[in-house]
Amino acid sequence: MNAATQPVIETLGLVKDFGRTRALGGLNLSVAAGEIHGFLGPNGAGKSTTLRVLLGLIRPTAGTARVFGLDPWADPVATHRDIAYVPGDVSLWPNLSGGEVIDLLTGLRGGADGNLRRQLIEEFEFDPRKKARTYSKGNRQKVALIAAFARPARLYLLDEPSAGLDPVMDAVFRRHIERVSRGGATVLLSSHILSEVEQLCDRITIIRSGAAVETGTLGELRHLKRTHFRVTGLAEPARLAALPGTHGISIDGAAAEFDADAADLGAVLAGIAEPGISGLSVAPPSLESLFLRHYSDGSGVK
Amino acid sequence: MPGVVRLALFQARRDRVTLQVWILGITLLGFATSSAVVTQFGDEPAQEAILTLAASNPAFLFMRGLPDGTGVGAVVFFQGFAFTAVLAGLMSTFLVVRHTRTDEELGRAELLGSAPLPRAASLAATLLLGAAANVLLAVFVAAGFVAAGLEVPGAAGAGAAVGAVGVFFLGLAAAVAQVLPSGRSANGAAAGLVGAAYLLRGVGDALGTPAADLLHVDSAWPSLLSPIGWGQRVRPFTGPDLSALLVLLAAALGLATAAVLVRQRRDVGASLLPQREGRERAGIGGTSFVGLAWRLQRSTLAGWCVGAAVLGAVAGALGPLVSETVSSVAPLRDLISRLVPGGQTGLIDVFVTALLGVAGVFAAAAGIQAVLRMRAEEAEGRAELLLAAPLSRGRWLGANLFIAALSAVVVSGTAGVSAAIGLGLSGTTNGPAGSVVPAALAHVPAAFVFLAAASVVFAFAPRLSVVLGWGMLAAGLVLGEFGELFGLPVWLQDVSPFRHSSAMPVEPFDPAGALGLAVIAAALAGLATYVIQRRDLTA
Repeated sequence: MNAATQPVIETLGLVKDFGRTRALGGLNLSVAAGEIHGFLGPNGAGKSTTLRVLLGLIRPTAGTARVFGLDPWADPVATHRDIAYVPGDVSLWPNLSGGEVIDLLTGLRGGADGNLRRQLIEEFEFDPRKKARTYSKGNRQKVALIAAFARPARLYLLDEPSAGLDPVMDAVFRRHIERVSRGGATVLLSSHILSEVEQLCDRITIIRSGAAVETGTLGELRHLKRTHFRVTGLAEPARLAALPGTHGISIDGAAAEFDADAADLGAVLAGIAEPGISGLSVAPPSLESLFLRHYSDGSGVK
Repeated sequence: MPGVVRLALFQARRDRVTLQVWILGITLLGFATSSAVVTQFGDEPAQEAILTLAASNPAFLFMRGLPDGTGVGAVVFFQGFAFTAVLAGLMSTFLVVRHTRTDEELGRAELLGSAPLPRAASLAATLLLGAAANVLLAVFVAAGFVAAGLEVPGAAGAGAAVGAVGVFFLGLAAAVAQVLPSGRSANGAAAGLVGAAYLLRGVGDALGTPAADLLHVDSAWPSLLSPIGWGQRVRPFTGPDLSALLVLLAAALGLATAAVLVRQRRDVGASLLPQREGRERAGIGGTSFVGLAWRLQRSTLAGWCVGAAVLGAVAGALGPLVSETVSSVAPLRDLISRLVPGGQTGLIDVFVTALLGVAGVFAAAAGIQAVLRMRAEEAEGRAELLLAAPLSRGRWLGANLFIAALSAVVVSGTAGVSAAIGLGLSGTTNGPAGSVVPAALAHVPAAFVFLAAASVVFAFAPRLSVVLGWGMLAAGLVLGEFGELFGLPVWLQDVSPFRHSSAMPVEPFDPAGALGLAVIAAALAGLATYVIQRRDLTA
């Protein structure tokens, strides 16, 4: 297969059972070379399990997983050579300092780039001399991020990496994602926050109950970007259906709820601007509402 | 106060399995010891024989305790009390540290600390739970003795002595937990103090003065420094003296009060010995699996080496001294010349051999601990970080096995060297000074079997590895130390790797046994390496 067209990550019908619990139920995921891929899903959807399968840390019950065209379970060493990984819940050695852990993790992969290491420690405002025991969640996260970014890799597997970072540090994190992406690296970024994924990612896969329910570019998933409206006091709520770009209209007495496409927001706002309205709330698209509205019918695997 | 009781009940709920295992395990050991004594030393001549043998053998006194006249109960107390008391001490120290320093380190104490209760409420609850556990232990041990056919008042006194030693170590561990910054270090120091108590009692007993009838031995002063020595003074089956219990309980109360006062005044997470700053960069070895394994093991290893050095020093320095003490008693001198080939020098050999055997157990324990650290790494999510590197699991296991094996060699070697120095300093020229280092190292192959077996359990059944890893050592120890007393079949006793180590310098070196153990260890390590590549990482 041509290296340029071969996906960096490809899973087909991935199934993972833990005893009687099914964590993954036939997951298909494809991440092309060079893209920043958002892996979006609520807690417990199977995001971390997928990343562990991709690292060959656990063996899939059924289905196949390929990373760089390799089976990570059969050949973890070759697979890991070009991977940088940040786990979702970073646990460190309490009696080692942050600096020692960074050196250990990069050393196991062949050594850090000294300048990059220094720059990252500075930008993340991190004190590498403290024992890991004393670090907060955000600081433990920084250790894993610095170790991951301090050395070039072809694939970055990041499991909810910005959880625990404050907004300033989050900006540093984004900058480095963009830096490695410009350098041609592939990034798989798991998250349960839609806006985070939206700002960074080229393509998104949404996972629920262990299976992918949507995948595509942000443009293709435009319906995810619908804004939710709740209006009370409209004289003729049924008229909403005639407005461009409105979806899922539900009317309950004087109150009406609907979603509107981003492109048609102007027309929608003009359409509902009438003297009688007594209440208006507008909610940006969130993963939660997305799941509530689109997938609450049990269409995912059970 | 209701808040403290509530916390204690909550902690008891967390410990419901652990404490049951400890209490029933200790009870079972007491019951088995006493029924073995009843069957094997039921009549007076047999009791006299074992007591005389013990009184004439400082190694016996060191390991077991003080002979205190005939009678089944007295023999049981002599044979079993010191071991039982060590177990009660360990139960108490682990219990206290688990609920105090470990909880603080992991941030759980913070969650409870936000409740409207005094700062030391949780510590008080832990002490309350510990006291209850030790009362229960005392009752169970006494009941076990009665079930085995011992008289009720004596059994009650013996149970109380075990419980009182446990209570003392509750107070001591509570104090240690205020001083040290992490659960690991507090556990290590507190368990080390339990070991020191056993050792001090052993020294005192080995230097003790045998009575003319050779059925009693009075301990020397070092025993007074040991809580286990005080427990021994209760003499429940011969001349019950409950004032020794009061000494233990008063000391426990003092230590516990001090701990509560310190806790009341200090920050959560703070310790009297503070956390030092770390290095900014890893050392040369700090970027490899072997380097990491060494970094994580070295302070533990230092602890085991201190223990082994003390044992070796005791063996080397006290061996000649005790043999002199014993030989100054005329009837004993005759007995020894008949019983021990080589007379006084032979007696030193026996003493040294026994202590080096204990050092061999230390070596195995240090190795097992290094192997089981992999399980902690896995369960706490750090193995995931490590194994995301382009290095195989086999190499990870191999690095840890290497450090485990190295630990076993170093611990044994330390005991041997310190024994040699001790013998040299005490001027034993024709003694075993030159041969003690090889004698100590002769226990290394058995230690290898234990640590390799622990790695197999880790590879096959990670969640059971801690229980089975230590359980195998405990089983090996019971089979080796008590197998004959319990009258277990020889093949069962032979399951213990310790039985196949050469007990040098009393026995000659047995190359076949050592080689056999080494081959078994290598096979087990190979099996573990194969299996570990074929399972999921399991939290």
